Amino acid sequence: MEAVRNSLDFSDFPRIDLLIAGAVFFLFLVFPLFPHSSFAISTMIQFLMFSIYGMGWNTIGGYGGQVDLGKAQYVGIGAYTTGVMLIRWDVPFWFSMPIGMAIAVIWSFIIGYPLFRLKGHYFAIATIATSLVLKDLFTVWPFVGAARGLEISPVQFPPPDFRRLIFKDDIHYYYVILGFFFLSILYMNWFRKSRLGYQLRCIKDNEDVARSLGINVHWAKIKTYAIATAFVSMVGSFHVCYVKAIEPVDIMSLDLSILIALMAMLGGAGSLWGPIIGAGVLIPLKSYLKEWLGATAGLVGIDLILYAVIIMLVSAFEPRGIWGIVEKARRRKRR
Amino acid sequence: MAFLEVQNLTKSFGGLRANDNISFSLERHELIGLIGPNGAGKTTLFNCISGHYPITSGRILFDGEDITLLKAHEVAGRGIARTFQVYAASGDLTVEENVMVGCFMHTGSRSAARGRARKILKELKLLDLSDSMVRELPVPAQKRVSMATALGTEPKLLLLDEVAAGLNPAEIEEIMGSIRHIHDDMGVPVMLIEHVMELVMNISDRVIVLDYGEKIAEGTPQQMAKDPRVIKAYLGERYVREQKRME
Repeated sequence: MEAVRNSLDFSDFPRIDLLIAGAVFFLFLVFPLFPHSSFAISTMIQFLMFSIYGMGWNTIGGYGGQVDLGKAQYVGIGAYTTGVMLIRWDVPFWFSMPIGMAIAVIWSFIIGYPLFRLKGHYFAIATIATSLVLKDLFTVWPFVGAARGLEISPVQFPPPDFRRLIFKDDIHYYYVILGFFFLSILYMNWFRKSRLGYQLRCIKDNEDVARSLGINVHWAKIKTYAIATAFVSMVGSFHVCYVKAIEPVDIMSLDLSILIALMAMLGGAGSLWGPIIGAGVLIPLKSYLKEWLGATAGLVGIDLILYAVIIMLVSAFEPRGIWGIVEKARRRKRR
Repeated sequence: MAFLEVQNLTKSFGGLRANDNISFSLERHELIGLIGPNGAGKTTLFNCISGHYPITSGRILFDGEDITLLKAHEVAGRGIARTFQVYAASGDLTVEENVMVGCFMHTGSRSAARGRARKILKELKLLDLSDSMVRELPVPAQKRVSMATALGTEPKLLLLDEVAAGLNPAEIEEIMGSIRHIHDDMGVPVMLIEHVMELVMNISDRVIVLDYGEKIAEGTPQQMAKDPRVIKAYLGERYVREQKRME
């Protein structure tokens, strides 16, 4: 009961934050009812997906301070579980999604156990490696389509189909992912106030102090890593139904892993709104850059240059991202 | 059997014996001081007891249980809490939230943890700091916060590592009051490492002296102040002269 209360209780934020958040979320709810371009709604779907990825990353990367650059492997596990189960055995999305989350979580325990023996940069590098290895395995595994990946054919699964999450119009996908988005916010709001949430922030600063307070540091990290994984895998399952075709090189790419981490760091790692702000800045930017510049010869990859610049700016000026700047300004004002 | 019993504890780092064959015991409701020159192995001894270092040989018994091989978080779970010489307070958390992290050892409920944290902060007279960020506080207040955080775990034994270092006389008086309160009123046995002699000699029931990793003496503060080995290794002739003059 307390958990539900905590997840719904936003009272520790200033009223202005809640007003802004409320207004923005209301806009999200009604935006598709007005005339809009298909580009706008697909960008919005991307934004919501990446917000959830970022929120998941934020548990271990933000609150726990463990820079994880291997989240794409769990996007892949979620997407492949749902895709394979649908195509081979006609399992509906709402069953295969939790199964995908379970498989991803089990996998995260298996690799999390040795991974969290490492610290700092070594941990980050190892997460990249595990993700890339899994990608390579999927590239040569015929059962999941190997390098060609999976394709959900509209002939075999005619839209609209809510059980299998197969639609023709983006608006349906939009409302499904918006529902996930709101649920994720509630979960994160509970998480940051949970015992694990507090313990992680202690671990981030000093593991010896955390141990002396009875915290099993290794286990706490593994648990949190599993939570992050579940988030990411959930969106992965959604992703395959939404785009209907996946390839291992895309869905488990290093680019995706870095983008997930970058989003949360830019917005503000270790804060509730950070990943949402980060995704809100980066996703439209990325989409528009691709639209305007990507087609022009010689400008391919300009978004990668942009990410690099952002990483440098964030780490040089404000490691706690945009939200860190806001909080700093507030504290100065209070004095 | 004593409440805490350390038997022939040795801790080596490569060829260096930081703790060499140390044995001592602590009874319930005792307050023991641990003194010695820098590098004598005092903090190492704490790290061994609290499980932060695996020991090379020897045994540690606590409350009737062999805790020699337990990890730090398991030792904390058995009821040994400690503070650190350099307290790294959580940057993201306020004073109250820091203490709550300690309280979360025995409860999963946020409101219960908060309630307990507020009670401890009140007992240590820190309540008006509860919303401050720890790193923004002056050092003496930080040290008291670290004591409060350790108390959050409801310890059966508290190890304090130089909580009075760098404080002025008034602040020493204050922290001495806090330690007395923890020991006398809350009934928690305390073992403390300290260089501030007026604190150790005033409040300890017993003092253990380390030098070059070995226990060179043990006894009441009065005995230690007169012990020639202790004077030679640590206190120095000047301390003795000053004590005589004060008498």
